[in-house]
Amino acid sequence: MLVLFETAAGYAIFKLLDEKKLAKTENLYHDFQTPETASKVVKLKHFEKFHDTTEALSATTAAVEGKVSKSLKKLLKNVVAKAEATEQLLVADPKLGLAIKEKLQLQCISNTAVQELMRCIRCQMDALLAGLPSKDLAAMALGLAHSLSRYKLKFSPDKVDTMIVQAVGLLDDLDKELNNYIMRTREWYGWHFPELGKILNDNVLYVKVIKVIGTRDHALEADLSDILSEEVEAQVKEAAEISMGTEIAEEDILNIQHLCDQVIEISGYRAQLFDYLRSRMMAITPNLTILVGELVGARLIAHAGSLINLAKHPASTVQILGAEKALFRALKSNKETPKYGLIYHSALVGQTSSKLKGKISRMLAAKAALATRVDALGEDVGIELGAEHKLKIERRISILEEGKLHRISGTGRSQARFEKHHTKSEVRQYGDAQDFAIPTKRKVEIEEVGSGEAGPSQPKKKRKTDIGEQVVVKEEIKEEEEDVTVPKKKKKKKSLGAEASETVVTEMETFEESPKKKKKKIKQEIEEEQPEEVVSQFDESVGEKKKKKKKSLTAETEHGYEEAEEQIATPSSEKKKKKKRKSESME
Amino acid sequence: MGPPGFSPGGRGGRGGSRGGFGGSRGGFGRSPGGRGGGGFGRSPGGRGRGRGGGGMRGGKKVIIEPHRHEGVFIARGKEDALVTMNMVPGEAVYGEKRIQVEEGETKLEYRVWNPFRSKLAAAILGGVDKIHMPPGTKVLYLGAASGTTVSHVSDVVGPEGLVYAVEFSQRSGRDLINMAKKRTNVIPIIEDARHPHKYRMLVGMVDTVFADVAQPDQARIVSLNAQHFLKNGGHFVISIKASCIDSTATPEAVFASEVKKLQADKLKPQEQITLEPYERDHAVVVGVFRPPPKGTGS
Repeated sequence: MLVLFETAAGYAIFKLLDEKKLAKTENLYHDFQTPETASKVVKLKHFEKFHDTTEALSATTAAVEGKVSKSLKKLLKNVVAKAEATEQLLVADPKLGLAIKEKLQLQCISNTAVQELMRCIRCQMDALLAGLPSKDLAAMALGLAHSLSRYKLKFSPDKVDTMIVQAVGLLDDLDKELNNYIMRTREWYGWHFPELGKILNDNVLYVKVIKVIGTRDHALEADLSDILSEEVEAQVKEAAEISMGTEIAEEDILNIQHLCDQVIEISGYRAQLFDYLRSRMMAITPNLTILVGELVGARLIAHAGSLINLAKHPASTVQILGAEKALFRALKSNKETPKYGLIYHSALVGQTSSKLKGKISRMLAAKAALATRVDALGEDVGIELGAEHKLKIERRISILEEGKLHRISGTGRSQARFEKHHTKSEVRQYGDAQDFAIPTKRKVEIEEVGSGEAGPSQPKKKRKTDIGEQVVVKEEIKEEEEDVTVPKKKKKKKSLGAEASETVVTEMETFEESPKKKKKKIKQEIEEEQPEEVVSQFDESVGEKKKKKKKSLTAETEHGYEEAEEQIATPSSEKKKKKKRKSESME
Repeated sequence: MGPPGFSPGGRGGRGGSRGGFGGSRGGFGRSPGGRGGGGFGRSPGGRGRGRGGGGMRGGKKVIIEPHRHEGVFIARGKEDALVTMNMVPGEAVYGEKRIQVEEGETKLEYRVWNPFRSKLAAAILGGVDKIHMPPGTKVLYLGAASGTTVSHVSDVVGPEGLVYAVEFSQRSGRDLINMAKKRTNVIPIIEDARHPHKYRMLVGMVDTVFADVAQPDQARIVSLNAQHFLKNGGHFVISIKASCIDSTATPEAVFASEVKKLQADKLKPQEQITLEPYERDHAVVVGVFRPPPKGTGS
């Protein structure tokens, strides 16, 4: 029988010399009291040392889970190949035994007797594993324990928040340096070619241009098309000719160009660093990043010192982190404390109007504090929390920005009453029909107009459908158009335009208001009243010209299709037409 | 590297001559018999003067004397405190007070052991007969938490001994690992103590098992671990929290039932004390595992 004994240094395979000992294990410990007697019971057959800590770690994790690691598999294959097929293997873990049986078809035994045997072997471990000094074993065990614990705790390097703090600090430093260098470049080169500074406001472009052109005299031949646009390039070249700067030597321009190199390099690095910072932030604190953005989140962490520190702060502190000077000054002089600190620069606070910034900053700080805590202290967190909170805040922003137009509770009546006193702006839109100059004459509409003018029938029609109502209205319009003489044309056009716009509005309105509007309309166009009356006198006397013109007209108006169809049909009684219209509008 | 909390001026000490050594202010060179002269008798093996700390006002001198238990010391001053010798001088593990002592040329540092935070300290102060952790022992510590008591056990067993600290919680495990980085005789194991076979690769045979797990199946956990790793004739020290095992029964009944369970697993109890006044309804049971049969000697 073979015994598999795992240690921190490696795997040991013992041969059990006396199998009968297993049957009676109470006094087994007697045999293991001294190394000599122990070696009589078991003999070390093979010791497979782990080559390095990674191998040891993988072997240990496999042992923890009860799986067969690669090194164990290899070892067992070698050993089993040498031994007889009927050899049994004693293992400490039954689960491992099963796994070995499955993979290597090796009989495994694991019971209390085996446990006792393992115990005894462990007692005499130092003696039995002759080739291994005990200090070595202890050191290996320590190292293995540390690496195993790290693995368990998932000490992943991308969860370290010191990187964020440092990166943000570096970003600020880089910005300062970059600014210094650029100012210096501008001043220095400005001696030679001052106009360039005024033409090019963007620093990176300025520096690139200097790199390309060097001194002014090269500016004409230089190709700046890939850096600048055509006009700007032309401007530059022009300015180069008439510049009032001094001449400088080759050495000088060389130095300036070296400085430009530095500037370009640093700005490139700054962009790279920013990308790095963003990816780190997303890895370390996904929820906070979603809520406030990467840069603001990173600054908050840097200000607090570490992520755990930031998590410990209450939401009110998170709100005014960064405004400490103003805070304490206000507290001392008993004035109003600041409403926002670093949080002010987040996107959510930035996009709201200034009146609401304070409220939103408070809300955002509360949610951000929650998100930070989840990120810092939670295990395996997703981004659901951050996304959910952000959505909530955005909804709240939109509700607040609307003003108090909506009552959350109450009947609809109050809303209607509210709307009555609330001025609605009337949007006047340019009617397409205004473009059309040729007057049209339509027969069909006259009848409708006539019926439309009758007060009671009007509301009826309107009640049927909005489109029907609109049709009526439009036909009125068209009717007015028909009766056109040259001077009236213009007026009608105007009124047409007005009416066309009003038709747009009338669709929205309720029943009661539309007749009022109609009356208004009528009042507005006092001039047209006459032609209306004139038109109403017309009856079927109007010729087919009208129909055709109506067709063309309707093609231009918004809901003209139905009307066009109607007009094509031969004039019939009003009712029939109404029915037709109704049916068509129903469609 | 000087301790930050201790100022030479002795703020509280002025005029406070309480007799004994605490009252004297001033340099190290003073003879101990300065005031009442009662000091000598008290500290036959005293380690010399130390600057005050641990509940005492800064700047006061204290005398360190060894405790009955090996590896543990008592700091005698205005107030007495249980201390252990710091294996990592200059660092406090959980913000405890440290005492610095000069003995000849060597500087020694002692850390104060708080009995309100540590069950083992409470047991020692309660007068337990033996803790079975002399220097050089291998201890299996179940329920290590953040490593506050583990650090003291590590101090007691010294560099020759070993402490296998088992803790399942990840958050506490992090602190434990950070503590273990500094102390090479602590082996951190982030595993469930209910499954000792999972960490069998890391642990050798131990001489003592200390269990402070606060679980209802505590007895089973201890017996499993003992079967795997505790040598024959090895000892165990278990802290039992009555409300954790059964909150409805009386503490005495709970302790008795736990002891019975242990006996069934060949864990023979030898003494039991309660942790009054430091903890309520707690008891510590000390015993031997698979005692060698009488007559043959252990």
